[in-house]
Amino acid sequence: MDFLIDSFLSALLLIWSVDPELLVIVQVSLKMSAISTLVAAVVGIPAGFLIAFKPFYGKRLVITVLNTLLAMPTVVIGLFVYAFISRRGIFGAFDLLYTQKAIIIGQVILIIPIVITFTITAINRIDDRYRKTALTLGANVLQTVVVIIREARFGIVASIIVAFGRVIAEVGISMMLGGNAKGFTRTMTTAMALEYDKGEFVLSVALGIVLLMVSFGMNIFFNYFQGKARV
Amino acid sequence: MLYELKNLKKTYDQRTVLDLKTLKLEKNKVLGLLGPNGAGKTTLLEIMAFLTKPDAGDLWFEKERVNFTNGKLIDLRRKVVLIQQQPILFTTTVFKNVEYPLKIRKTPRAERKKIVKELLELVGMGMFEHASAHKLSGGETHRVAIAQALACLPEVILMDEPTASVDVENQINIERIIKEINQKKSISVIFTTHNMIQASRLADETVFLFEGKVAQSIYENIFSGQIEVDSNGDKYCVLHSGLKLRVSSQKTGSIRISIDPSIVKLNQKESGHSMHNRFKGTLIQLTDEQSRVRALVDIVGTPLSVLIPKDVFKGLHLDLGEKVWVNCPKESIDIF
Repeated sequence: MDFLIDSFLSALLLIWSVDPELLVIVQVSLKMSAISTLVAAVVGIPAGFLIAFKPFYGKRLVITVLNTLLAMPTVVIGLFVYAFISRRGIFGAFDLLYTQKAIIIGQVILIIPIVITFTITAINRIDDRYRKTALTLGANVLQTVVVIIREARFGIVASIIVAFGRVIAEVGISMMLGGNAKGFTRTMTTAMALEYDKGEFVLSVALGIVLLMVSFGMNIFFNYFQGKARV
Repeated sequence: MLYELKNLKKTYDQRTVLDLKTLKLEKNKVLGLLGPNGAGKTTLLEIMAFLTKPDAGDLWFEKERVNFTNGKLIDLRRKVVLIQQQPILFTTTVFKNVEYPLKIRKTPRAERKKIVKELLELVGMGMFEHASAHKLSGGETHRVAIAQALACLPEVILMDEPTASVDVENQINIERIIKEINQKKSISVIFTTHNMIQASRLADETVFLFEGKVAQSIYENIFSGQIEVDSNGDKYCVLHSGLKLRVSSQKTGSIRISIDPSIVKLNQKESGHSMHNRFKGTLIQLTDEQSRVRALVDIVGTPLSVLIPKDVFKGLHLDLGEKVWVNCPKESIDIF
């Protein structure tokens, strides 16, 4: 117990003193998670909208596949992307392996199903009267889409919160595709795993605290946004 | 002519909800579309609002044939606005809801503010400007929806059962607004209702719809029943309330029956007419309807409307709660 308390206090001291190593790891983590989430949102929200709104052959199958992908382990995605970007892979010539881009590609694949399925659910729950109201008030197709997305924003924002939480906390993809290179592809989770292997718990605990603080901060921000928007 | 419809058809899941041979609606009037639930009133309004494409037939708006497939409906939709039976407002303030149609029409901000304030005052919702639209009551939501519709500066306002789910106070307000926007702003108003009294109070003209078709007679007093044959071979229609009407129809089993209120006769004494289809009931309501008086008679739990010409009514000296005799002649009964 003393050991845990000591580690915890030392970790707090590390955070308080703004340790440069810790800062770089946090920055890399936040940067990659933010980019992955942004890319997934830009692609996933319109895709989710289209799947929810447009009737097409095989729609149920697409939704079932997306739901299945939600349970995909990060190591499977890591392996899958590795097969494409390793020297022997078809994208090997791009030298992506062990770069931040590789991590982002893997993380986007991980969270796109989350953003799409949450968006589908959010859009499906929106009353069709919103569409009719926007159209009858003179809105064009794009303005009608904006109205529907605006009404579904709580569900869509939830998808972004979950997606960000998933990428910032994942370790498999970052480890397999990033290689845990110090100052470059070392994220909070890979650093924690490394420190644990070395038996150095202080940095591990400090990163754990930062990770929780980031998640907590994100949730406060989005909750505030949702509360403010729910006029 | 505002609208002209020919051979218009709409089917949902193999059920024909609208099948209109021909219908013409005039401009600058208040028109009432009457009919029971499932008569196709809402579908017709949605077609006239260019929100639903008919499966067959033609629709002309201001003498121009409407093409539902060429993607130019937005120009027409900006002339006609539909207020749904239960209007839904966007999750924002009352002000922003009314401002929305003006914003998408790129009206300057200062002008928008002025128009919104005026419209909210017109519908008696001025003090709710900054209120959350989702916290309003049904009647208040309806009034804001009317202001929102007026912000579109439409030529036509279509209203689907505008007072169906509001209290009496809001009902009076909404009816006043309908009259005002027609008279002061020269906007044509087409509304649906199944309330005869409201239709006669508000509408310059009324169209009766029944099972997707324009009905020739006043389809009121519609009940479900069962055809039964007695030992003498006479046919009767037994309503769910137990009321038994003698009928002459080839139909058997479960049917629907309509009794034309303008043909039904009401007497204070048991005399004058045939013994058949003569019932004793209690007079429970009297309503003035321009040239006629509508009497509602409760016959063993079945409310039956009777339309009495005013001159006949004056001679009757009817009192509410009085026991009266109602005679339903053969020609007043329609079985379908």
